[in-house]
Amino acid sequence: MATVLASKQKVKKSSLAKRNLQKLLNNKLAVFGLIVVTAMILACIAAPLLTPYDPMKISLSERDLEPSSNHLFGTDKLGRDVFARTLYGGRMSILIGLSGAIGGMLLGVIFGSLCGFFGGTLDAIFVKIAELVSVVPQLLLVLVLSTFLGAGVQNLIYVFMFTGWVATFRLVRGRFFSLREESFVEACRAFGIGNLSIAFKHILPNCLGPVAVQLTLNTAGFILQEAALSFIGLGVPSGVPTWGNIMNAAKEIIVITQSPWLWIPPGIAIALFVLGVNSLGDGMRDVLDPSQL
Amino acid sequence: MLKYFVSRILLLIPMLLVIGLVVFIGLELAPGDPITAMIPPDQLSSMTLEDIEAMRESLGLNDPMLVRYFRWLFNLIKGDMGYSVVTGTPIASIIQNLLPATIKLTFAALIISTIIGLLFGIVSAIKSNTFIDYISSVLGVIGISMPEFFIGILALLIFAIRLKWFPAQGRTDVGLNALQSLKYLVLPACSLGMVLAAALMRYTRNAMLDVLNKDYVKTARAKGLPEWKVYYKHVFRNSLMPISVLLLLRLPMLIGGSVVIEQVFGYAGVGSRLLAAINGSDYQLVLVIILLLSTVSLLASVLIDMFTALLDPRVRLGGDIGGAK
Repeated sequence: MATVLASKQKVKKSSLAKRNLQKLLNNKLAVFGLIVVTAMILACIAAPLLTPYDPMKISLSERDLEPSSNHLFGTDKLGRDVFARTLYGGRMSILIGLSGAIGGMLLGVIFGSLCGFFGGTLDAIFVKIAELVSVVPQLLLVLVLSTFLGAGVQNLIYVFMFTGWVATFRLVRGRFFSLREESFVEACRAFGIGNLSIAFKHILPNCLGPVAVQLTLNTAGFILQEAALSFIGLGVPSGVPTWGNIMNAAKEIIVITQSPWLWIPPGIAIALFVLGVNSLGDGMRDVLDPSQL
Repeated sequence: MLKYFVSRILLLIPMLLVIGLVVFIGLELAPGDPITAMIPPDQLSSMTLEDIEAMRESLGLNDPMLVRYFRWLFNLIKGDMGYSVVTGTPIASIIQNLLPATIKLTFAALIISTIIGLLFGIVSAIKSNTFIDYISSVLGVIGISMPEFFIGILALLIFAIRLKWFPAQGRTDVGLNALQSLKYLVLPACSLGMVLAAALMRYTRNAMLDVLNKDYVKTARAKGLPEWKVYYKHVFRNSLMPISVLLLLRLPMLIGGSVVIEQVFGYAGVGSRLLAAINGSDYQLVLVIILLLSTVSLLASVLIDMFTALLDPRVRLGGDIGGAK
């Protein structure tokens, strides 16, 4: 979403962005992804219009109902409407995934630009940290941090930011290494432009394409991780509906066999949204850099 | 070659030290008295406060942190990992029972996903833009978009509960021959491996297509080499490089994923024990397991690294790795 907005703003200024947007809209994969993602985000935002039920409201007289015209996806053990929970849960899942990914992207861009531009000791330290963060299983890192920070939406976002900057960092740093030798940087120097200004105003914009693709990958990854963490009961506190929390019920065999409506809809919602985000990312990559793998 | 291997292994040491230190600090910050994690609980209950204080002094718990850290580390290496506060059993024996099961699960998943991923990736690259390619590409995108545990639950429902081909829950080696205990492994390993298989497939396809456009492939064909030889000797070998880089990046995710998959299938491994320990605030156990799993992941990455070096001399010469973006 953010990248779409960003590219829309750029349209007025440069024709390259306009051409890229045009190419993006001609790319079937990207358009498919964009439609799925937009439709699902809109549906989640417009949840109160789409369902009259409150996702938190417990109604003991309506427990474990099968899907019907009253309750599209049925109700859970406490009589809460699963359709409403899936919609409202989507808000939280998408919010966590997206803000974690954006936060990680910002950290990665800042560290990557500084390390790539200045190099030296700072760079060496950050490369080591990045290697360490990436070799420890991310899920374990999230587990440790959320054990000590405590469960909570905000903490989960911080944890994702902390673990999610590495890929962007590597990407930006790598691009900076090759770009800082280009003649336009020398020209900037000759004009007496300050280092920070060269790094962030002149070199950084050349790296933003791959960064945007990485943003989609991270968003997809974090939504999957939030789901996995909440599924095993260590993500978002169980009171708040998220896609993973709704599926938490499917830890019992009886729920898996007897009440498939409790876990299939949120499962498909996750898969569909992640599919949309991934397709959008694939399409963007095709448009921005056809030569890249 | 040997020099590269040795330097790679030596690099492990500082990394393990740092991970260990982070875990140790976590242990320090965790609530609870470390002494309770060091003495068998039945012995602890019969001790007075003075005894415990004397014990604390004699065990050197009042020493500076770094000293205690290295002592803790040496004990760990010797196999003395302390006691689980909750169950009172030595952590070493818990680990001894469960870690092999988890390693078996992840390794099986790694093998399955590598075979499936490479096979489908190669076929779709060779038959690119045909129906087969189209189908496997679609399956690949769906595969990387599904949460592992969702695949696991679906597999559980279809293959274990409805078709009854495999046991639904648990893991046991007692009184079973190898084939029977393998049955418990199939579903968890396949569910865990599916996501990686999909990722590998997509990556293999792209890497192969990338190499197929290279001039040396045209040359090979122009020389009149049979098609299979072109694919095997020139295309596949050269695309293995970026593929093993992806494997390296994805490996920690596989180990993390095993924690979740073990939970779905009630598979008795380190992961399900870890979750139980987190819920029971058994911090000593939590951190030891996390340290061990990180070590496994680190060791495995080094192995893949070495494998890559065997394939491509540029790596060990410190040169640029082609396609490793």
